[in-house]
Amino acid sequence: MEEEQVFSGYNPRVMRRLLGYAKPYRLLAVAAIISLGIGTAGALLLPIVIQRTVDDNLISRFTRIPAEHVTEFGAAEFDGAIVLSGATYIPDDKLVALSGVDRAKLTESGAIEEIGYYVFRYDNALTSTFDGSFGSVVTDTAMVDGRQYASIDAARFGELSEEQRRLIRSDDLTELRRKTLSFFVLLACVLAFTFAQIYFMALVGQGVMKDMRMELFNHTIRQRLGYLSRHPVGKLVTRVTNDVETVNQFFTEVFINLLRNLALMVGAVATIMLLNWRLGLVTLATLPPVLILTVFFRDRAREVYRRVRMSVSRVNAFLSEHLSGMSIVQLFVRERKVRDEFAEQNGELLRANLGEMYVFATFRPIIDLLSSISIAVVIYFGAGFLLSGVVSLGVLIAFINLTRRFYQPVMAISEQFTVLQSALAGSERVFEMLDEVDRIPDEGKWAPPAPVTGSVEFDHVWFGYKQGQPVIRDLSFRINPGETVAVVGYTGAGKTTIANLLTRMWDIQKGRILLDGVDIREYPLDTLRTVIQPIQQDVFLFNDTVGSNIALGRDLSKDELHRISSLVQAGFIERLPDSFETALTEGATNISTGERQLLSFARILAHDPRIIIMDEATASIDTETEQLIQMAVGTIMEGRTSLVIAHRLSTIKHADRILVLAQGELVEQGTHDTLIAEQGIYYNLYKLQYQESTFT
Amino acid sequence: MLKEYRTLFPFMRRYRWSYIAGLSCLAVTSGSQILIPQFLRRAVDAISWGGFELRVIGVLMLQLVGVSIVIALGRFGWRYFIHGASRRIESELRAQLFEKFLAMQPSFYHRNQIGDLMARSTNDMNSIRMASGMALVALFDGVFLTAGILAILFVQNPRIAAIVILPLPFITVLILLAGRFIRGLFLKVQEGFSSLSQRAHEMLSGVRVIKSFVKERFFLEKFADSNAEYQSRNMRLVRIWGLLFPVVNFLAGITTLLLLRYGGEGVILGSVSPGEFVATLSYLEMLIWPMLGAGFTVNLLQRGAASLERINAVLDEPPEIASPPDSIRDMPSTAISVRNLSFTYPGAAESALQGVSLEVPEGSILGILGRTGSGKSTLLRLLPRMDNPPRGTVFVGGVDVLDYDLGTLREAFGSVPQDTYLFSTSLKDNIGFGLDDPDEAHIRHVADVSTISRDMQAFPDGWETEVGERGITLSGGQKQRVAISRALAKKPRILVFDDALSAVDTETEELILNQLLSERSGTTSVIVSHRVSTLAAADRIAVLDQGRLIQYGTHAELLAQDGFYREVSLLQQLSEQKTHTDPEPH
Repeated sequence: MEEEQVFSGYNPRVMRRLLGYAKPYRLLAVAAIISLGIGTAGALLLPIVIQRTVDDNLISRFTRIPAEHVTEFGAAEFDGAIVLSGATYIPDDKLVALSGVDRAKLTESGAIEEIGYYVFRYDNALTSTFDGSFGSVVTDTAMVDGRQYASIDAARFGELSEEQRRLIRSDDLTELRRKTLSFFVLLACVLAFTFAQIYFMALVGQGVMKDMRMELFNHTIRQRLGYLSRHPVGKLVTRVTNDVETVNQFFTEVFINLLRNLALMVGAVATIMLLNWRLGLVTLATLPPVLILTVFFRDRAREVYRRVRMSVSRVNAFLSEHLSGMSIVQLFVRERKVRDEFAEQNGELLRANLGEMYVFATFRPIIDLLSSISIAVVIYFGAGFLLSGVVSLGVLIAFINLTRRFYQPVMAISEQFTVLQSALAGSERVFEMLDEVDRIPDEGKWAPPAPVTGSVEFDHVWFGYKQGQPVIRDLSFRINPGETVAVVGYTGAGKTTIANLLTRMWDIQKGRILLDGVDIREYPLDTLRTVIQPIQQDVFLFNDTVGSNIALGRDLSKDELHRISSLVQAGFIERLPDSFETALTEGATNISTGERQLLSFARILAHDPRIIIMDEATASIDTETEQLIQMAVGTIMEGRTSLVIAHRLSTIKHADRILVLAQGELVEQGTHDTLIAEQGIYYNLYKLQYQESTFT
Repeated sequence: MLKEYRTLFPFMRRYRWSYIAGLSCLAVTSGSQILIPQFLRRAVDAISWGGFELRVIGVLMLQLVGVSIVIALGRFGWRYFIHGASRRIESELRAQLFEKFLAMQPSFYHRNQIGDLMARSTNDMNSIRMASGMALVALFDGVFLTAGILAILFVQNPRIAAIVILPLPFITVLILLAGRFIRGLFLKVQEGFSSLSQRAHEMLSGVRVIKSFVKERFFLEKFADSNAEYQSRNMRLVRIWGLLFPVVNFLAGITTLLLLRYGGEGVILGSVSPGEFVATLSYLEMLIWPMLGAGFTVNLLQRGAASLERINAVLDEPPEIASPPDSIRDMPSTAISVRNLSFTYPGAAESALQGVSLEVPEGSILGILGRTGSGKSTLLRLLPRMDNPPRGTVFVGGVDVLDYDLGTLREAFGSVPQDTYLFSTSLKDNIGFGLDDPDEAHIRHVADVSTISRDMQAFPDGWETEVGERGITLSGGQKQRVAISRALAKKPRILVFDDALSAVDTETEELILNQLLSERSGTTSVIVSHRVSTLAAADRIAVLDQGRLIQYGTHAELLAQDGFYREVSLLQQLSEQKTHTDPEPH
């Protein structure tokens, strides 16, 4: 297994190209990002709701300013201030506007009482529970706007009965229920929008992946056969499947999560600053260590991750190689050596894994510790600010919550950077493959005015699969419409290559090949290949039904299938368990070699080409099927121009003409009788094969 | 399910101190974590009652940081010990599995796909590691932390505790149920992926047919179907999987909501202190993980058991080919005797060999001729026991091959199989593969015999040239010649050569075979070849057809007989008459 580049540095070109694929899905992407925004905002609002509830309803105490101090204090300017019997009551959380110095001064002068008070509306239902002692329990009472208000010392409040406490704080209880409801609505929103974001983004990622995979596959099968035989199928498949998969990962895991986590962090910081900028600054001051640590960690994580990936791929390569070559290992009695080598690779993998574990085992606890330190600092300074009235308890609680929320994405983000880079490397490999265009040029525009008659001519053709190693040398011959020509010769004489050239699976290097007098390069590739079709020696069958293997997508009725199969003597199909619907297993092991041959004849008849090139099978076939094949061959050649790469004497004898090929050159040609009379190579071949008719 | 874990017991026993140390660290961590909200509670209570001294808060916070340091150390500790142990167990189990692979016979590799065996060595190992590491942590932590937190919550305020923890069990149940459901969907996605891969693989393998019949569009559509199916399976998974964590968060949010509602009421009425409220908020947050963990533990343990089952299946399978108990470690001579050997591959309808009897006296050469499928290769495989022949049919040095120590028997052979398989090491290491301590001069010598040394200038790093996976950087002929050198390098007492020169041109082929024969003269050799001129040098020639011995004798005897041998001989003489070359085009 070759070691593939695991990471790619951040490459804006790859990134831009990748995002280009998301264009058709931009509405979904926008929907995902909007959902993300709402979901994140909701998640950040939750602690705010708690803070408001704590400050406004749970604690909701007032500071009492005695009447003699009201003017020096300017108490009436405070929001929510209420005056009862001359004393002014100011909500605690509104005292925030007061500076610490003022506050200390005021406390000393007795302008601010240190005891907290509750201020409440009351009616007869409440006073009746006190048996007349109400007046002695409460501190001040007054009528404000036609309603009765009273205040009570927080310490005395605890001595009352539950019923009395409920009545006194009924406003707060109602408000608590209302806020709980809005908390629930917010939770439901977060649920809905988080899911919507995941779902929309998955649609984008999956869509992009589908499109890209389709494009890549389309690109690949249109490459020339030379390209395809140069690249192992397994590797091409990996590109089409696994590498494209990383693209999905990019969108659904990396891109959106990075966005969300960044939004959460930024949102948490912003909320902190909005709630209280002074405490916010203190909180921010605790963050630099985590940022530095994260950058450091990101590099370390990438390093160890790369090492793990490399070790994994080495172990995989070692396993794949030695499991495949196990019999060599065993034949050469190398078990001990191979075991030791494996132990080495396996040990390296262990070391890499442990290395990764140490990094994570160190950093996660440290990040958690930093988070605790931040919270401790926030509480300490928050308590200080609270003493000086700068923050409220609710704000402090919200800070604790928000600081936690800030730390949560930190670990995730640094890991996502790693995944981002591996996803980009995957996309880069895909793009590289897309950019390598190696196709048979399809620029022919020639439209034959009438149906092709089927004359073929090789005109001084030279060709080699590799430069400087010609397989076909200066080959010239002509086949007339409707003629059957057999090509004979020894292995390596270039017989099969003729079929490859005629259908332009490969292009010739010198000379011309003419179809009906026109160079085959003048024809559109589709036209050429519809006119000339090969029957290969080893018939490739797809993992599909017998019927679809014949039709290959053509719309053939059952009757037509029956007609075709009986024409090519493929009666065995009807005897299969599900006839034409029988599924062929992988490698089509459930039918014999001879039957495969008959199927390929049926395939040809279904497509009705003008010219066929038949590469006869060399494998021995049982006598019965052999006879069927002979009959079928007669049928499919009828009325067509046929070029047969022949191994069977009977086929050769029935040919109109025989071309004898040696080392890519035409050495003899003529009919069976004239060639016999010449007593040349063919004569010798014939004499030998007379007794062993299928042996080559 | 538990019985599958028996394989892990010896490992866990070996690492018991690591586990004990790790779990102790975990206990310290969890215990300290439970303290944290208590600091918060005391701080908040002090703050909310007013009239506190800042110094008190400072001391509390210093304590909090101190405990946090203990937690960090504990966290590092349990990761270090438990992950360390589970990583080591994974590694050792993998080594054990590979050791087993080394002992398994070829039929095992026919029955099991390489990809599947690899998955057992990697993916399955991962889930076993998760089961032996994370699952344990989650289980322990889950029980410990949950019990501790619940105890505190109930002591603090039983009524509120009872209310707020209501949604938590749902998280566990949700993970459990969803785990099973998601696993099903996930398998569907994997199936979709592998069917997509298969489609791509099939179409790219059959691309010639697709191009020949101009079916690009049709097959693209089929591929598009698979592609779309895979996409929709993914989306089906996303619909559930994507809902899971938002729902968990929602349920966690509901506990906060219940606390806000009922705990908040308590604070308003004075029965709950603000500090308790804040502490409970922290505790609830801490409870989410164990609740998730409980669900995951069950899933991880199940998955681990399924993987272990696949590992155990291999570990428990006895190798079919192994040394017998009182094996013979000494080979008296290399005379080979095959007596009425019949052999049928398991599951095959027809026998590969039928009643074959042959004698190869020590130091002589046996030539074998036969068509594809005539049983030649099977015969060669049975000699070094790559498959087990029936008892009493194959003897080397007068001893049944089944009675030898396997190493002794195979060490005597040098094989050149028909399909060349090279390893992705250097040229030199491939040739010296069978040697413990390769001698440079000897390597050069055997490289001369196979004529691979002639190609040396074409290799960028000479002897040190890496040949790539399965020798991909070499041509077919080069690979075959390396394989010949590899077999010769170990100076085997018996050479077995299975017609491995198909990719070499006829002239070189003859040269190699002649050099091979002279190198081997006087040592026992069995040589399969389709070239009569080579076979002519053998002391005896066996002609096989459909698993039977149809002709047996010297070259001269067989030439004199009417039959397959003579036909082939004539045919080859004819083709040799016409070898000429032409100038290349300019």
